[in-house]
Amino acid sequence: MAAPVVETHALGKTFGQHHALRDVEMRVLPGRAIFVVGANGAGKSTLLRILAGLSAPTAGHALIFGLDSRRLSARYRRRIGMVAHQSYLYPNLTARENLEFYAELYALPDPRETAVRWLERVGLERFADRRVRALSRGMEQRLAAARAMLAEPGLLLLDEPFASLDGEAVRIIMSLMRDAVARGASIVAGMHVVPEIEDLEFEVFDLARATLTRRPPTRDGGDAGRIARLRSLLGR
Amino acid sequence: MSSMIRKGLGYTSLAVMLTAIFMVFDWAPTEAEQGIAQRIFYFHVPCAWVAFAAFGIVALASLFYLWLGERIWDDLAYAAAEIGMVFCTLVLLTGSLWAKPIWGVWWTWDSRLTTTFILWLMYGGYLLLRASADDSPQVARFAAVVGIVAALDVPIVIVSVRLWRTIHPAVLITKTGEHGLEDPRMVVTLLVSLVAFTIFFIWLLMLRFAQLRARTRLCRMGQEIALAEVRAGDA
Amino acid sequence: MTAFAAILRKDLRLELRSGESTVALLAISLLILVVMVFALDASRARGAEAAAGALWVALVFSGMLGATRAFLAERDNHCIRGLLLSPIEPSTLYAAKLAAAFTFMAIAEIGSVILMVLFFNLNFDFTLVRVVPTLALGTLGFAALATLLAAISNRTRMGDLLLPILAVPMFVPALIAGVKASSFALGGAPESAIAQWLKILVAFDVLFVSAGYLLFDYVARED
Repeated sequence: MAAPVVETHALGKTFGQHHALRDVEMRVLPGRAIFVVGANGAGKSTLLRILAGLSAPTAGHALIFGLDSRRLSARYRRRIGMVAHQSYLYPNLTARENLEFYAELYALPDPRETAVRWLERVGLERFADRRVRALSRGMEQRLAAARAMLAEPGLLLLDEPFASLDGEAVRIIMSLMRDAVARGASIVAGMHVVPEIEDLEFEVFDLARATLTRRPPTRDGGDAGRIARLRSLLGR
Repeated sequence: MSSMIRKGLGYTSLAVMLTAIFMVFDWAPTEAEQGIAQRIFYFHVPCAWVAFAAFGIVALASLFYLWLGERIWDDLAYAAAEIGMVFCTLVLLTGSLWAKPIWGVWWTWDSRLTTTFILWLMYGGYLLLRASADDSPQVARFAAVVGIVAALDVPIVIVSVRLWRTIHPAVLITKTGEHGLEDPRMVVTLLVSLVAFTIFFIWLLMLRFAQLRARTRLCRMGQEIALAEVRAGDA
Repeated sequence: MTAFAAILRKDLRLELRSGESTVALLAISLLILVVMVFALDASRARGAEAAAGALWVALVFSGMLGATRAFLAERDNHCIRGLLLSPIEPSTLYAAKLAAAFTFMAIAEIGSVILMVLFFNLNFDFTLVRVVPTLALGTLGFAALATLLAAISNRTRMGDLLLPILAVPMFVPALIAGVKASSFALGGAPESAIAQWLKILVAFDVLFVSAGYLLFDYVARED
């Protein structure tokens, strides 16, 4: 069995008195897609930030490509791509300039050509020299997806990738996801509802059970040790 | 066990401090030029020593915190900064009280007082930083960085201020430093006072440090209890 | 192109397009110099000392603005996260931001020097060139200090107010050295008088650039 791309053990994150995440047990193998489903505020973004190495867990740990997420070296960070609600794109630079910049940042061999290629891939070649602030939300997210993928990451982290997007943008991002999985990358995507997506096998990880919810104590069972919460649902 | 040490230290501190006070006001001879006001010197200098030493502790603890990541070092740094600030303020106050009767001004920009004032400002910045943000590990890291950088700056401050003051000797007012102590009783008094203040400082530091440790532990316990409650609810 | 060059070029390109920071820093420098003119009554030509003092006040305050603005570009769309996610070392980011802050400050200082000559009745002659090393070293030191501290103060509640509180006391040795060296340079004093102050500036720069470079990692991390 191939080594897991993502592995978490009893992962928890607390902000002061607020437990954003607790006891998250997760395993993602190469070429698999996991949709982390939970209501707003359930901790999806927090989880994704921890997996990206941006945030440190307060309990347990997460292994990304076998390395502790807190100690991701440059070599491993290059293999992670993230698309969040904010695009990480400079509004006053053009679409092309943004992609070229990130290509340079990731030390890709031909930044110019890479930028052009990905602009075409997300259908923005006509807007290559338009500043990002002049792009619609859908176009900006498409560009953000291109930004995240141009280094061909082995792990794609998506935070509500389809939120408030037009149909074409949704289609393009779905096709990007399919391509990524087809070439062996893994996807961990946080959503508040499981999307309709064709030709993509995915598992659903229900984060809602792992958040702080008050429920009346049950008669049987009693103490809660660490409960494995991985649920598998096969996609169509 | 540690509370026993603290108690012991407290009593020792009291004893030595009383001795020092007696020596300062009764045993040490009156200085020829400055008269009685000179006795402030026996409090002024030890406070300065403590203020700088405390800052060194802040820097070292900050270094360990960044290196090891254990919250205990951060608590130590914070405690040292708070106590150090108190003593630093005392240096400035005693310096002012000393200057007025002797030289007629409330403040003088001589090299040592100036350096201490800069130190006081750096302490203030450190404490303001901690006060203006919540209790997260991120803020603790920020404070640690500030503590280290400020401490590294202190030697340069000392050198530059000293150079600055030698250019304008007219404004310079030399404090009767170590070389000006003619009578050996003065030297002994100073040493005893130094020891008294050092022990006092260590005692205060241990008290405050224990408080911060307790607070950290309580916080953690609160989190664990809340977590356990919810887990029990889930089962 | 290295990551450092890419980030710096991006920042300069952004600044070239909006020009906001340059205008802001030049404006602040001008206003401060005006205040100093009236504060020190420069109409009674007091020359080198007053001019040097005013110049460095402008440097300090425009510098704080420059450092905070160097990070402003990353605030929109959370671009800072894009940088932190990328394979660059935080130290590289620090170096690039330091270079950007230094550039903004340098431009503002050219303006300040010209204004200083005009306001304080000096001459446009060789003595100005003697001030250049001092200004360059002082600017580098302040940029190094302020870039590190701005990254911290940006993330606290007090925000912009905390930066001067932290930066000014730490900058004092360089401020003393810089003003002294500048006033000696402008006043035509011999090289030897300036040299000892330059040494302090160099030591200061080495200290803070290294400290910033090594410690920025701890500051840049989110939480």
